[in-house]
Amino acid sequence: MSSIPRAMQQPLGLKFASYGFLAFWCLIAAFPIFWVAVMSVKTPVDAFASSPLDVVFGPRTLGNGDGMSVFSILLLLTLLVLTYRVGARHLGKWVEQFSPPGLVIIGWIIGSIIFAIGAAFLMFGIYPFVVDLIDPILGPLGRPVLGLTTEHYQAVWVDNEFYTNFLNSMLVTAGVVTISLTVGTLAGYGLARSGSNLAFWLLIMALIFRALPHSVLVTGYLPAFINSAEFLEPILGESAPTLYGQPWAVIVVLVSINQPFTIWMLRSFFQNIPSELDEAARVDGCSHFGAFRRVIMPVMWPGVITTGLFSFLLAYNDYLVTALLLDQQNQTMVPAITGYFNRETTTTDQVEAVAAAVSIIAPLFLLVMVFQRQIVSGLTAGAVKG
Amino acid sequence: MAEIRLEHVSKRWGAFVGVDDFNLTIADREFLVLLGPSGCGKTTTMRMIAGLEDATDGKIHIGDRVVNDLDPKDRDVAMVFQSYGLYPNMNVYENIRFPLKVRKVPESEHDARVMRASAMVELDEFLHRKPAELSGGQRQRVALARAIVREPTVFLMDEPLSNLDAKLRVSTRAQIKNLQHELKVTTIYVTHDQIEAMTLADRVVVMNKGVVQQVGTPTDIYDNPANTFVASFIGSPAMNLMSGTMSGGVFTGDNVSIAGFDAPDGPITLGYRAEDATVAEAGQGQITAPIYTLELLGDATMIAVKAGGALVSVKAHKEFRAEIGDMVSINIPSSICHLFDAESGARIG
Repeated sequence: MSSIPRAMQQPLGLKFASYGFLAFWCLIAAFPIFWVAVMSVKTPVDAFASSPLDVVFGPRTLGNGDGMSVFSILLLLTLLVLTYRVGARHLGKWVEQFSPPGLVIIGWIIGSIIFAIGAAFLMFGIYPFVVDLIDPILGPLGRPVLGLTTEHYQAVWVDNEFYTNFLNSMLVTAGVVTISLTVGTLAGYGLARSGSNLAFWLLIMALIFRALPHSVLVTGYLPAFINSAEFLEPILGESAPTLYGQPWAVIVVLVSINQPFTIWMLRSFFQNIPSELDEAARVDGCSHFGAFRRVIMPVMWPGVITTGLFSFLLAYNDYLVTALLLDQQNQTMVPAITGYFNRETTTTDQVEAVAAAVSIIAPLFLLVMVFQRQIVSGLTAGAVKG
Repeated sequence: MAEIRLEHVSKRWGAFVGVDDFNLTIADREFLVLLGPSGCGKTTTMRMIAGLEDATDGKIHIGDRVVNDLDPKDRDVAMVFQSYGLYPNMNVYENIRFPLKVRKVPESEHDARVMRASAMVELDEFLHRKPAELSGGQRQRVALARAIVREPTVFLMDEPLSNLDAKLRVSTRAQIKNLQHELKVTTIYVTHDQIEAMTLADRVVVMNKGVVQQVGTPTDIYDNPANTFVASFIGSPAMNLMSGTMSGGVFTGDNVSIAGFDAPDGPITLGYRAEDATVAEAGQGQITAPIYTLELLGDATMIAVKAGGALVSVKAHKEFRAEIGDMVSINIPSSICHLFDAESGARIG
C-alpha cells in the first residue's frame, strides 16, 4: 500500500466501504458452496435443522457416533493445504521435466490423472486409516467434537452408482475438449492468418451459430438421433446404432455448440502472435504445418489451455443437451442430480442430492488449482512478443 | 555460389500493382540494396525471392533453378526480419540452432556451428537468455546469427536496422558489411534509408511505386541520377530541383538565370547539389535572393533561398554568417547542373 502516492490514496470512508462490499460479495458468492458442503456430511435431521449452529456442528450426527476429533480436523486441513501447494507449484514443473518434448499435452493429462488418483488415495485411503490409528491414543484431543458422516457420499457413489455418471461426464467432457481444441486451433490459425473474404464470412457464420439457443440445436438433433438406426442402415448395415442415449453421440452436439466460440477465441490468440514468426520458421526450413507445430503452438499453450478450460466447463456443466439426449442409464453427473428430486423426495434423497452436487464441484477445484498459472497467463495474454 | 535472376517479375493484388516488370541479375557475392520510400514494392520483391509471396508474373532464378514454385524452405535463403522474428519460447542458443535442427543437420555439428555464428556477432555471453531479456541490438544480432548459422546461398535482410537507435544502427551496419565480406554470400538488403544504401551496397536499386527507377553503384546513383525521383531521394540534403524555362541555352526561373547549356528550348527542371555550389560576391552569382533560413551544421553552414519555385540550398563555409532576409548570391556554373524533362522527370543532360 505504501507504493501508492498519498495523493492517490482513497479516503478512509471509501476504503471501508469498498472492503466491506468486497467481503459482503465474497460471502454471498461462497456461502452456498460452504453450506452444501456442510449439509452433505450431516444426517438429514441435522442438515435440515432450524438452528444454523446445529447444521454446522451436527449434534445428531455426532450422537450416531460419526464425528471428527480436533486432531483429525487439523490433519485434514493440513493435507488439503499440502495437496493444493503440490498441485499449484510443483505439478507443472514435474510435467515439463518428465514429458518428452512435443508431448507436453499428454504429459499434462497423465500428470493430472496421477495427481487426482494420488489425492483421492490420500484422502480416502491413508487419511481414515491414520485417524483410526491415532485418535484413540490422543485422549481428549482424539474425542469427536464435530458431527460428520460420509454415509451420503457412500450412498451416492456406491449404492446409486454415481460413478457411471462420473465416467459418462468424463467421456463427454474429454471428447468435447479434444475435438474442440483440435478443430479450433487449426481453424483459428487458418482464419487468423488468412485475409480472404471467405474467412470473414466463415467467422460471421460461426458467430450466428454461437448466437442460436442451445435448445434449437437439441430439437434439431433429437429426432435424428432417435431414428438414426433407420437411416444409418444403408451405410453401416445391421449394426447401425441408435444415437439417442449414447454419451459419445452427445459429444457431437456439444461440439457444435462450443466450436464457434473456441474458433473465435483461439483466432484472437493466434492474431496476437506476429506472422513474422511463421515466416521466419518457414525460411529457416519448416513446412507450413511444421511452422505451426514447432513454432506457433509452443507459444500458444496459454491460449489453448484457457480455451480448453472454457470448453471443459461448457461440456461438464451442460444440463439441457445431456438431459434431453441421454436416457436414464447413461446420464452425466449434472442431469443425474435431478433424478434425486423427481421421485417422492425424502430428506435423505435431498441430502444425497447435495452430496452429489458437492462431488461435482471437486474436480473443478482440482482443475483450476492445477492450471491456475497457465489460465492467468492465458487471460493476460499478449506476452508472446519476440 | 548463387546468382539471382529476376525476369519480368510482377506482383499484383487485384488492380493494385505492387511490383511492375522487375528485371535484374544479381551477381554472386554481390551486396544489393533495394531502396525506396515505404510502399514502393521493395519488401514485396524480397518476399517474392524468399517465397513468402507468389509472383503474379515472371520467373525468379536462384543459381540454376527456377524457384517460383518452391517452398521457402527449399530455396536455401536465410532472412532477417525487421522486428527480428525470434522464437520467444526458446533461448538464444536454441534460436540460433533452430534452422540446423529442422534441416536435420547432424546433431554433432550443432554446437560448433552455433558457437561460431554467435561468436561472429558477439553473442557468446547471452546464449542462455530468452529473447525477451535482450536489448533491441542484441535481438537483431540473434536474428543475424540465426541467418548465418546455416551458411545459405542467399541472405535477405528486410530493414534490419530500422528498429534500432541511431548509434546502434551505425555499429550494426558496420557489422553487417563485415559479415557479408567474410561469408561471401549474395545479399539482398531492403531499406528506406539512403545512407544505409550508400554505405553498404555494391549496387543500389532505387524503386518507386513498384517500378525500378535506376540501378547502379552508389556513386553512379549519387552523381548521375536517372530522374527527378532518384535525384530528390538520394543524398542528404537531396538534390535541389528548380523549374524554369530554357531559351537559347539560358535557363531562367524566379530569381535564377544560368547560361551555357546545350539544350532545346522549353520548360525544364534543373538540379544541382548543395555542396557543388558556392556563395558568390554580391550580384555575381546565378541566383540572387533573400536568405530564407540558415542552418549551422558545425562543419558547414547551409543557406536556403527561394528560387525557381522551390526552396534550394547551398553549402557555405562554416564561418559564413548572415541574417535571415539578407540578400545572398549563389554561384551555380552550368557544369554542375543536371537537366531533367519538366514533364516526365527523366534525365536529359
